[in-house]
Amino acid sequence: MAANSQLALSGDGDQRQTLIAVFLRGGADGLNMVAPFEDDGYFKARPRIAIKKEDSVQLDDFFGLNPLLSELERPYKDGNLAIVHAAGSEDDTRSHFEAQDLMEHGGLLMPGGWLGRFLRALPDGGNGPLSAVAVGRSVPECLRGAPASTVMESLDSFSLGKKAERMTAALTRLYGLENNALGNVAKDTFGAMKRIEKLRNEKYIPGNDAEYSYDEFSRGMQQVARLIKARVGLTTVSIDIGGWDSHFVQSSVMDPLMPRLAKGLNSFYTDLGREMENTTVVVMTEFGRRVYENASFGTDHGRGSVMFVMGGGVKGGRVIADWPSLDDKVLEGPGDLPVTTNYRNVLAPILSRFGIDDKMRKVFPDYDLKPLDLFG
Amino acid sequence: MEISRRKFVQLGSAAGLTVAAGCNRMPEILVPGSGYSVNDKKPFKPPFTESVDLISHHLNRLSFGPRPGEYERVRKMGETEEEAVAAYIEEQLHPERISDPEGAASIRGIETLNLPADLMFEFREKVLLRDLVRGTNQRAIFSRRQLYEVMVQFWTDHFNIDPTKGDCRWLKTWDDREVVRKYALGDVGIKSESSVAKLIGAFALGGNEEQDKPSFKFPDMVRASALSPAMLWYLDGRENRTEEDEDKPNENYARELLELHTLGVHGGYTQGDVMEVARCLTGWTVSRVKKGPGFALDNQYGKVEFKPGLHDDNEKTVLGETIPAGEGSKDLDHVLRIVSLHPSTAKHLATKLCRRFIADEPPADAVKTVAQAFLKSEGDIRETLRALFATDNFRNTRGNKFKRPFNFIVSALRATDARTDGDKPIYDYMLRMGHAPFNFPTPDGYPEEATPWMGTLLWRWNFALALSENRIDNGTRINPKRLAERAGGGESLMAHLLGRKPNEPEIESWRESGNGLALALASPAFQWS
Repeated sequence: MAANSQLALSGDGDQRQTLIAVFLRGGADGLNMVAPFEDDGYFKARPRIAIKKEDSVQLDDFFGLNPLLSELERPYKDGNLAIVHAAGSEDDTRSHFEAQDLMEHGGLLMPGGWLGRFLRALPDGGNGPLSAVAVGRSVPECLRGAPASTVMESLDSFSLGKKAERMTAALTRLYGLENNALGNVAKDTFGAMKRIEKLRNEKYIPGNDAEYSYDEFSRGMQQVARLIKARVGLTTVSIDIGGWDSHFVQSSVMDPLMPRLAKGLNSFYTDLGREMENTTVVVMTEFGRRVYENASFGTDHGRGSVMFVMGGGVKGGRVIADWPSLDDKVLEGPGDLPVTTNYRNVLAPILSRFGIDDKMRKVFPDYDLKPLDLFG
Repeated sequence: MEISRRKFVQLGSAAGLTVAAGCNRMPEILVPGSGYSVNDKKPFKPPFTESVDLISHHLNRLSFGPRPGEYERVRKMGETEEEAVAAYIEEQLHPERISDPEGAASIRGIETLNLPADLMFEFREKVLLRDLVRGTNQRAIFSRRQLYEVMVQFWTDHFNIDPTKGDCRWLKTWDDREVVRKYALGDVGIKSESSVAKLIGAFALGGNEEQDKPSFKFPDMVRASALSPAMLWYLDGRENRTEEDEDKPNENYARELLELHTLGVHGGYTQGDVMEVARCLTGWTVSRVKKGPGFALDNQYGKVEFKPGLHDDNEKTVLGETIPAGEGSKDLDHVLRIVSLHPSTAKHLATKLCRRFIADEPPADAVKTVAQAFLKSEGDIRETLRALFATDNFRNTRGNKFKRPFNFIVSALRATDARTDGDKPIYDYMLRMGHAPFNFPTPDGYPEEATPWMGTLLWRWNFALALSENRIDNGTRINPKRLAERAGGGESLMAHLLGRKPNEPEIESWRESGNGLALALASPAFQWS
């Protein structure tokens, strides 16, 4: 029955690819997520909070995964997860808002966000009602300027209730007269309502016995998996996990968040199974933390951090890093890991798979792209 | 001891509010599930011009939207529309002169709003947050001091604190009262709340004794915020210390002080300035909560203190100005003198105020005028607003501000004369639209511009339907029939809700919808102010 309804829901039968951008807001500490255990500078700068080699999940002969991220080991060993270290943006204000803005806009003073411009660069203009879904409660900056974006907390709440035909018709009429941004949003909203109407009231059974946990991120990823399998035309998804700003007792801030991230990604990976071929998940954060721990067992705003890329034919099972070393002479500014891979060079090869190479300069203007060899 | 003291606070606050109320109407006591209502039955005349007139425009911008009868009331404040809005602006700029029985009665029974900080720790944090949210909702919905409540919202965003962090769970209520509400619009002289805390002598701000004549300008507000125990928790100021010379200060607060609270991100400071300001502010701490025997007798919890041994007392340089060694706790005032009336601060605040009151893209002329007024008055918030409201840009830019979800919900409750307790079901709608009070994680506060909020249309429509059909819960009720009668029929009710005469498509859709009230609240016109 479940299998049948899944089949019945496959509306367009599209084979479209989906990109899921996960943003870790607050500046996640890449050095303690993927620890460079062979770099002596790491333990020197973090005598109290460093992740020891023997505690970590060894990824190669230099880097180890924080044990709280151990659920990522499976996609990594399967060769479907690549990790890019010392990654980040050129923004050196160390301000959350500036750095997030730059990263999400794809440049200072850029109109709209990089996902927004990417959607517009797509052959269909990315204007399907569910082309862009923001899981959460508001449209993030990266989707700003998208031709259509839908904010969605869960499928179940996406309706005007029963017996709302007359109201829907009256509202459609009034909003149809709005020749502005609000009118466009309303149009997308009515479109999305129709699509999701088909999905509602169907019980969802994740594939391959995947088990999602109950936190917001996992539930969000489950809804995304459901939309992907129902082929409602999902192209990009933006989803956040906030709260990484670990100035004070870092472990109390990050320790609850890391398993949430890893479990959410692994459940999604398991659920989608072979569908992962057409799906790419990229995880980023606005900046990493200072190499040196501060007096309150925390770390202050820094520069380089890690990015994760999963699925979509990525050549995984490796940590890609032009490692600068954590020697004092190499560190940047007040003592930060220099950014040796710009985040655009991680995103660009992913976007290439959508066939927009000729328009890549519109997505990331004013930047000399050197796309990373992610797909081998 | 504990009980009698708490009782005393309750009695004190009740007495204060009764005096403030001083009215002929018996205020209803607010308990969840019953709610407060103005209980007005008089007919009223809505606006009936083709487009939004000056009166409706001022009601839209200076308040959370007109209640039934308010258009008429303001119109009668002067011979001409011009005189009427001038009188309305002056009225609203002086909340201390406005008798506010509804505002006071709507929060009766919300116990924790007036507690001194140390007693907060006796409550579960969920209770405190719920009370604070209800208090915020009720005052926005019912208070006659509307511009004051609008400014409270503005400053709550400007000095945003996420009350889920550390002891902010207990201390945000104090911050709301003693920082945001105390300074939101100059000396508002609202004594009912803070005087109770002072009366029992439970709490005094560290370092405040040097001010003999209290001042309520922007620099005073920044100082109060800098020494607010909740802010010291939220942005880690309490952890910013130098015990050994090699200790690195915690920069978190220093950065946001410059970037968000004063100069603005392009205000001309460097990473070096951030680090120097952080050094200046080392040593300020907050007493922690200790649970256990004797807890209730100790009134030191949440107290802000300067610990000289944790302060970096060497020379510093902030924005090119030398702060000499050995100044100790006075470094704080020195830093605030440099930044709180800086021209960049004036520009930053003027831009934010113009964005709130005029347009998402603030007109440069208005920003300049407002910044000048801010500097000339040394950060007097009333003078600054008076200058803003006098600009042509303000007067002529109408119906272009997209209501943020909180504003949408409050304006709907006001317009429909709802009886409400402002409790969880209302909060849940705000939460779903991403705009629940005190629920924004980062220090920049909720965005003011329209774009991030446009994705909330479906939830707005759902709220309009639920409100009009009395489906929210027992704590929120409206009487659609009586409302329409008071307005003088369907079309007049529409005019009341839209702030102008409805156009043809609106009238047709009203009929087509099967629920005209919901349609009007869900319509494009009601989303703008």
